Amino acid sequence: MREVLKKPSQLFQRMLYIKNLEVLSMKMTTNPQVFLFLSELLGKKVIDLEKREWGKVFDLVVSLSEPYPPVIALLCRHKKEILRLSWKKIIKIEAYFLTHSLTPADFDTLQLKEGELLLKDFLLDKQIVDTHGAKVLRVNDLHFLQVDHTLRLVHVDVGFKGLMRRVGWGKFAEKFFQWFFDYQLKDSFIPWRYVQPISSPDLLRLKISQNKLAQLHPADLADIIEELDVYKRSQVFQSLDAATAAETLEETDPKIQVRLIETLNPAQASDIIEEMSPSEAADLLGDLPKEKAEGILREMEEEIAEDVKELLVHPDEKAGGLMTTSFAALPAETSVQEALKFLRQEAENLDVIYYVYIIDAEGHLLGVISLRELLTAEPETNLSNLSNPRVITVGLEEEKEEIADLFAKYGFKAIPVVDEEKRLKGVIPFKNLLEVVAPKLGK
Amino acid sequence: MAAVNHGALQRRKGFLKSLGIFLALLGPGFITSNVDNDAGGITTYSLAGSEFGFALIWTLIPITAALIVIQEMCARMGVVTGKGLSDLIRERFGARPTFYLMIALFFTNLGNSISNFAGVAASMEIFGISKYLSVPLSAFFVWWLVVKGNYKSVEKAFLVACLFYVSYIISGFMAKPDWEQIGQEVLRPSFSWEMNFVTMAVGLVGTTIAPWMQFYLQSSIVDKGLKVENYEYARMDVIIGSIAVNIVAFFIIMLCAVTIFQAGIKVETAKDAALALAPLAGKHCTWLFAFGLLNASLFAASILPLSTSYTICEAFGWEASLNRKFMEAPQFYGLYSLMIILGAGVILFPEIPLIPIMYYSQVINGILLPFILITMLILINDRRVMGNYTNGPVFNLISWITVAVMIILSAFLVITSFF
Repeated sequence: MREVLKKPSQLFQRMLYIKNLEVLSMKMTTNPQVFLFLSELLGKKVIDLEKREWGKVFDLVVSLSEPYPPVIALLCRHKKEILRLSWKKIIKIEAYFLTHSLTPADFDTLQLKEGELLLKDFLLDKQIVDTHGAKVLRVNDLHFLQVDHTLRLVHVDVGFKGLMRRVGWGKFAEKFFQWFFDYQLKDSFIPWRYVQPISSPDLLRLKISQNKLAQLHPADLADIIEELDVYKRSQVFQSLDAATAAETLEETDPKIQVRLIETLNPAQASDIIEEMSPSEAADLLGDLPKEKAEGILREMEEEIAEDVKELLVHPDEKAGGLMTTSFAALPAETSVQEALKFLRQEAENLDVIYYVYIIDAEGHLLGVISLRELLTAEPETNLSNLSNPRVITVGLEEEKEEIADLFAKYGFKAIPVVDEEKRLKGVIPFKNLLEVVAPKLGK
Repeated sequence: MAAVNHGALQRRKGFLKSLGIFLALLGPGFITSNVDNDAGGITTYSLAGSEFGFALIWTLIPITAALIVIQEMCARMGVVTGKGLSDLIRERFGARPTFYLMIALFFTNLGNSISNFAGVAASMEIFGISKYLSVPLSAFFVWWLVVKGNYKSVEKAFLVACLFYVSYIISGFMAKPDWEQIGQEVLRPSFSWEMNFVTMAVGLVGTTIAPWMQFYLQSSIVDKGLKVENYEYARMDVIIGSIAVNIVAFFIIMLCAVTIFQAGIKVETAKDAALALAPLAGKHCTWLFAFGLLNASLFAASILPLSTSYTICEAFGWEASLNRKFMEAPQFYGLYSLMIILGAGVILFPEIPLIPIMYYSQVINGILLPFILITMLILINDRRVMGNYTNGPVFNLISWITVAVMIILSAFLVITSFF
């Protein structure tokens, strides 16, 4: 489903991007545009108009404040000292950087200001996230567009061609592939707007608007997090807001879930776990060391913590461990109108919204009404008139295989769980069972 | 799950708790060290014992120490940075050095892979099974184990393979050695400047400390997700593994020394050695010896192609995971398949000279090793990489000396191979 939805937007974004580039180049062109690679620029000498040498370039500084970051300074090593030279001093780039006449006073100290990024240090050869393709990739080169005096970072090169160019076999590799496979090596670039650098925690702590990870679907984020090393994992995870973090966590491998939560303090962890569905939260807390889990439970909102604690008692493989406690249960006297209002208000927090369960004051399960029935009924009708008293239920200790059979037989979207006295304890959404059964389907 | 887990946590206390953590974390170091006793290793040990008797057995003590020093650094880098070695090399040294290093690693490991399939062929021939049957079957087995299994099951299979090394210890006892004499030999190092002797000593060192192990160890430590707090367990794992591997080496050398060397028989391969054991120590001893060789070869043949493809893909940022489909990770599966097909394929050529192949694969290892060790030392002393976990002055001195000796010995091995 997501795949299908993705395509038109992909096309649109691509068009937007091309348009952006055009605008960008039109705005300032009178001169021809030149594309340059970082690998071509590094190592060039800095020479001023009076033919004095001021060392070799070994890094560039860009400002992240614009969508296509302009280079604002270069770093060069001058007499064993690392110095920063403003880009304004550069006249043109040839076999060397030609600059206005320089005195030592023209150089600044190395200090980076906020929103500035060292390209070689933080990007070249490091990992980045491609938020468009939802992949972790390694940067082989950086691609700039030069218009007049401004050099802007437009692409990140992640391809084989870029790698071969870095190694010094660029031309050879191109010819070889043409000759041997009749294949033309293509550049594989990622537009900067889809690139999220992750090599330093500072880059992730940028304003939310600049953290491009927010563009990713939580399921993709989870895949990416699983691919990163332990430290980057927790940095990326901590850069997410609580709601995204919770959704991402639900999609992550249970072992990695535990590690991610362990890096947080109980207050942070509880904020995220509160956003998860109670059954997922219980599974996660159950896997944590006891003290840690208790610490987090103490920090959580009491109501949610109670729900989760109840689920914690039951083993994963049985009904009690599979069920969720966030479902809609209403007394029989409720009118359809009130019931719909309740659903509308609570929908956000409910794991199961397809059914409304009818209970008495002691919590005994009396009947069930589907959402479809609710929507088609007259608003003034009482639920008791619609209630379907023949409900298929399972006990807390029911095994997952039995429950799976029930789902297969009746085609429900959820099955209620009751204790010995027929009191409603929770509901198993089909999705929760899918996670238990799906791994077996392939075999 | 939840309730059970809490109960289990409460029961684990004190010593039992530490033991539990240790056993849970045991693996990377132990497996790496053992896989290091591959076909090439076993050949070298049996030749050392058959040709020189006990004369070289003392070298196992400094070798163990060197192995611990070097592997400890890898383990530490893995735990502290959470990154694999090739990852660190790429980020610290850039694309060009990494590229050449990876090319060299690929060919070195291809050589090792070939020599392990040669080991499979040799050991199965002792049981009377033709290499045209055993090699394709074992290649399929290796592929199946890794592609169809997951990390957990593969690690378990590998730990079982580690246990089978016991067969060498049993066969060692079958030869009824004179322990008093062995004790004296170990404590009284003998050395000779005779060419064969030095070459053999270098070979022993070279086969124990190979370039690819450093990559494999570090990435399996990273895979296990060990944390800095658990570092002491990782170190124990490395130390125990290094000692275990040399105990096995000791028994192989000893077995060949008390039988083949004393009978004055000339052998050229591990297979010769196994066959020569039959009249001296019994048929069962030969079988055990051959079984050990088969196990070691299969074990190493499973790990090498996998480790190599992971390492290379990690350096170049290519998708590398057994959870992906072929088209999602073409470089990874391509490299992996290439290593197995070429490794096993070469052995199937009739008349292929197996001994030079094994020997030269050790020589290429020797050429590559110094580069790897030096990059490791630069990385581990880099504060930007290691933070407060760089080498201390004393450990640095020890590790530089170890590395210097390793480099001299490897250079010696390489130079002699050309004359």
